[in-house]
Amino acid sequence: MTIEVKNGSFAYDKNGDKMLFSGVEFSASNGDLVAVLGPNGAGKTTLLRCIMGMLKWREGGSFIDGERIDKMPPRTLWRKLAYVPQARGVSPNSTVFDMVLLGRNSRIGAFSQPKKEDIKCTEEILQQLKISHLSQKSCRQISGGELQMTLIARALASQPEILILDEPESNLDFRNQLIVLDILSKLAGSGMICIFNTHYPEHALGRANRSLILSQGGSVFGNTAETVTESAISKAFGVRAVITEAETKSNTFRTVIPIELSDGSENIQSASSIAVVSIIVKDRSQAEKINKILHKYSRYTIGRMGLPYRKGGKETSIINLSLDAPDSEVATLVSQLSLLGGVSVKATYAQ
Amino acid sequence: MSKNRRKIGVLAALVLVVLPVIISIAALCIGRISYSPAQILSALRNGIAGKELKGAALVVWNIRLPRILLALLCGAGLSVAGLAFQSLFSNPLATPDTLGVASGTSFGAAVAMLLGFGMIGIQLTAFAGGISAVVLTWLAASGKGGRSGLSSVVLAGIMIGSLFSALVSLVKFVADTETQLPAITYWLMGSLSGAGYKSLALGAPVIIIGIAVLFALRWKLNILPLSQDEAVSLGANIRLLRVVTIVCATAVTASCVSMCGQVGWVGLLIPHICRMAFGSDHRNILPASICIGAAFMVVVDTLARSISAAQIPISVLTAIIGAPFFILLMRRSGGESL
Repeated sequence: MTIEVKNGSFAYDKNGDKMLFSGVEFSASNGDLVAVLGPNGAGKTTLLRCIMGMLKWREGGSFIDGERIDKMPPRTLWRKLAYVPQARGVSPNSTVFDMVLLGRNSRIGAFSQPKKEDIKCTEEILQQLKISHLSQKSCRQISGGELQMTLIARALASQPEILILDEPESNLDFRNQLIVLDILSKLAGSGMICIFNTHYPEHALGRANRSLILSQGGSVFGNTAETVTESAISKAFGVRAVITEAETKSNTFRTVIPIELSDGSENIQSASSIAVVSIIVKDRSQAEKINKILHKYSRYTIGRMGLPYRKGGKETSIINLSLDAPDSEVATLVSQLSLLGGVSVKATYAQ
Repeated sequence: MSKNRRKIGVLAALVLVVLPVIISIAALCIGRISYSPAQILSALRNGIAGKELKGAALVVWNIRLPRILLALLCGAGLSVAGLAFQSLFSNPLATPDTLGVASGTSFGAAVAMLLGFGMIGIQLTAFAGGISAVVLTWLAASGKGGRSGLSSVVLAGIMIGSLFSALVSLVKFVADTETQLPAITYWLMGSLSGAGYKSLALGAPVIIIGIAVLFALRWKLNILPLSQDEAVSLGANIRLLRVVTIVCATAVTASCVSMCGQVGWVGLLIPHICRMAFGSDHRNILPASICIGAAFMVVVDTLARSISAAQIPISVLTAIIGAPFFILLMRRSGGESL
């Protein structure tokens, strides 16, 4: 199964003078996890609503296996496609179970009631998402994270092949963000097409294999590694950011550190001051990476001193770096280095 | 069945179904002349067997039974209509009159009384008045594109409702103060004293069909409180569902009000009582509203006709009995289900 957007354009005004976005192209097929990335107001939610046929395209269209989505009969469409809205606003006072059961609607006839198989399917999905314990709670009494899980469960209850989510992690804390993103990775891993909106570039970098960046009317689509770059982020968000790697014992993540606004004159330049960055490296294999990073800051560097130290058969490197740089640059350097394994780092600023 | 489907429970369901039946039989016994249940049963049996009606059987068949049937139908109808409107507008304050139905029906009835129509004429004119009020509301709410948001429907309903209320006042103003004005005023306060088989034959089918359609759709009604996008994404034809709900609830309300006048409170109270007792799943609360609404109305009407020699207007009693009970329930449940 594939879902495509061809020459997608939309404008809220009647004449189409002010296009919200135009010429959006993308396609995804089984197993793809697509992030739609863009700043507030770029039209991410509008794009999703256009794709699903809730808003009319000004030009172009969206297609499932070559068939125009807005021409598909609703019951056929909504068995293939499911939508998870933002978990905001007032939710009805129904129980989580009843809410998830509503997801079966596209498979239940107009005058019919849910049957045993619908109940069973709902129970399985609640179990799968580990929210069975909430099933009899009211949707108004659960937390934002739990409500988001409920809405995802409701979408999954229709057994879709394509899942579209509108900022599924934006109102959640760290832990719940991870839970939601893990579910997305798992679903995509099982062959589902997942498309989600986000304004966190790191979630695109960390999870999506393909990304669509939407900004100022334009759009870029491609493999995440090639699409979500420092320059693309700067262009889309107006923020200079550094893409760097964070290491854990088992894995390496790519992540984003925002530094400063990059959109021209209004930018408040932070004053430059003298700072000393002290680095202790336990793991010698990191040396090359550290050198690479420090090299990027050579134009700010006043002096650099490195000394190896051997203790109990283990070699430790101690590096002292003196800089004359804007505070934001120093802070970025420190956070970049601290993400590496076995590296301790601290900055001292002149008063 | 799984524990997840919070069912009303067999016992409670049985009680709900049997309750209106028992109350109706009790109501048949009570009145100016009291009868024993045995007398009632034999009177009913005689009537069904087609024997000539005498004494108790005459009173039971020709006076009390049609009135109790009317109470059952209107109680059930107004409760279900109120429930449907509350879910449709996601507003706990919605009543069967939200779209101006009851005001329109009252206006129709008042005009008919002013022109000196008979019972059936009043009923038909009233029904027509109610339906035209909703059609006006619908036209007022749908703008150029024909796409009407729900809040503009509610606003239009309030406007049309107050317009018809004003027209009712105008009719009262020009009505003959000796005969017509008291009749209109009494009718507006609601009474089931006009019950008869002829008017039932005219009004009951509408109520029964309306309730039946909503009953068949009871699970789908759970979709009504969701936002437009959510409902669409569940593959529901939300526009059709809304229109069907409005048509059914409106027809039921217009038919009820055209037979027994403005009966306030039932459409607001009973659905909320059911929500507080049985949750929010319409598969539970819609049948519960039918049963409790029917039983409540029979109780209220029996009191209205037996407390004093003069029949007390039914709106007065629904409020006096309903409001304290409602407040009690709301305090106990913390009002969460509203």
